[in-house]
Amino acid sequence: MSVTSTAAYVARRAAQKERVRILYRRALKDTLNWAVHRHLFYQDASELRERFDVNKHVEDLDTIDRLIADGEASHNKWRHPDPYIVPWAPGGSKFTRNPTPPSGIELINDSHDDDQGCCL
Amino acid sequence: MALRAAVLRHVRVPVQTLTRTGTKSRPWGPNCGSIRFLSSHDDHLTKEEVIDRVLSVVKSFPKIDPSKVTPNVHFQNDLGLDSLDNVEIVMALEEEFKLEIPDKEADKIDSCNLAIEYIYNHPMAG
Repeated sequence: MSVTSTAAYVARRAAQKERVRILYRRALKDTLNWAVHRHLFYQDASELRERFDVNKHVEDLDTIDRLIADGEASHNKWRHPDPYIVPWAPGGSKFTRNPTPPSGIELINDSHDDDQGCCL
Repeated sequence: MALRAAVLRHVRVPVQTLTRTGTKSRPWGPNCGSIRFLSSHDDHLTKEEVIDRVLSVVKSFPKIDPSKVTPNVHFQNDLGLDSLDNVEIVMALEEEFKLEIPDKEADKIDSCNLAIEYIYNHPMAG
């Protein structure tokens, strides 16, 4: 009985930690989207880190769940409408632009009919 | 006309070897190893370059003692960081190599070794 409850506790804690890590990662990226310059970003990032560190030692599982849900709601509310996306990534400015041709393509140049037309 | 032809026949202009001096002073000749092609698909990073740049990013993290950083170091076990510092390092690596790592995969990168492997095997790392 205690083994299963301990395992359930550990699993729930691991899920919570992963949620917090991913929330922090998204929030940090969003901070970089909102901040125009680096010196603004550093200030905002340390403030964001402080907001996470305030609740570092919370032990109660339900409280942690509620804090994470609050954080996710706040992040969704303040999400940047036009975030920076790396150009080749989905949604980026170079996504599926000028893709490399599939292998096995043979280019045939028959525009000139003289005998030296051996190469392209 | 005859005078002009006679003058032109005797005038010599010294030939300057522009091409030779040009190739000598060119800083990015074909003998130099650091050629950057225009297409980003052609130049894949070498393993040494990936290791160097990953280590320099990790060493410049403010909470880390640079002398402890080796290619095999684990961020949380060996360097005394917490999980949020780990997130910050992975994001710094993403910016250094102009990558966009999905959240679930970025969450699994927790050591220098994994970061080097991931970035070296990524086709768009630049």
